[in-house]
Amino acid sequence: MALDTSIPVLVVDDYKTMIRIIRNLLKQLGFEDVDEAADGTEALGKMRERKYGLVISDWNMEPMTGYELLKQVRADTSLAKTPFIMVTAESKTENVIAAKKAGVNNYIVKPFNAQTLKGKIEAVFGD
Amino acid sequence: MQAIDASKVTQIIDFLKNGRRSDDVSLEDVMRLAELMAESLQSYFKSFDVTVYRELGAMVDEISSMKRELSELQLSDMRHQRIPEAGQELDAIVEATEAATNTIMTAAEVIMAADPSDTEAYQAVVNERIVEIFEACSFQDITGQRISKVVRTLGQLETRLTTLVEKLKIMQITDAPKEETEAERRQRELILHGPQLAGEGVSQNDVDAYF
Repeated sequence: MALDTSIPVLVVDDYKTMIRIIRNLLKQLGFEDVDEAADGTEALGKMRERKYGLVISDWNMEPMTGYELLKQVRADTSLAKTPFIMVTAESKTENVIAAKKAGVNNYIVKPFNAQTLKGKIEAVFGD
Repeated sequence: MQAIDASKVTQIIDFLKNGRRSDDVSLEDVMRLAELMAESLQSYFKSFDVTVYRELGAMVDEISSMKRELSELQLSDMRHQRIPEAGQELDAIVEATEAATNTIMTAAEVIMAADPSDTEAYQAVVNERIVEIFEACSFQDITGQRISKVVRTLGQLETRLTTLVEKLKIMQITDAPKEETEAERRQRELILHGPQLAGEGVSQNDVDAYF
């Protein structure tokens, strides 16, 4: 099954350059509808205004981290099923286990390449 | 001064205790005892003064020596010059890497958006932007030199702190229990470690094993 690249994607990162990198990689993969947020609070606000088909979030952000965002998303029945990928430099085993327990769909360790991003998105959507 | 025997001292004490009613004790006896007591105290204070004077002198010498040794460590130079300079170097590195990243990304975006149907124009755009990418990559040389300076400063700081600890003889002092700050609590609860050094964190393959 081909990847549905028409879905709106929300990229959450406090580092503008990283958002730009992910946005360009997504564009290369065919995703054109890409929105952005600088932290968990802004992301949560945007998610309550618009239904996103995928969230790609960093972990370490202020004031709300990606981990807190993930937990809030999973606790909110209207957002709970949104596919969520963590793209982060937090690469300790306890981070991966905590994210997995909190309901993350996949986890990418920075720095990453386009192939890894593509592979994880495909894995989330079962392709 | 005339001596006074022990039985007379007892008589004088009894005299003083019994409201000064005794024929055996004269005012002269009391005065003599007072004089003896003052004399004995004087010699005590004299010996006390000498001991304190010696102790204080030793302390002054120790403090002067410590001050001299601390000045040799050039802590002021470290605090007022080298550490602020290291901070400026790190700021400059952040700025340089950001500028280079932006240049490279802009070039890549222009190439990505160029129309490949006009081969000649497309090739010109790609060549021009490739040169820009090469130029931007030269930041690595300068940031490498800046980082070397910061590493050198950290090395000097480490040496001086180690010397200071040895000179002050505080190696055996146990660190006081530290109260967790709000930022530390947040880091612990939200599992914030930041990037790991190469070989320290888990790899993407390790992560994939969990999914």
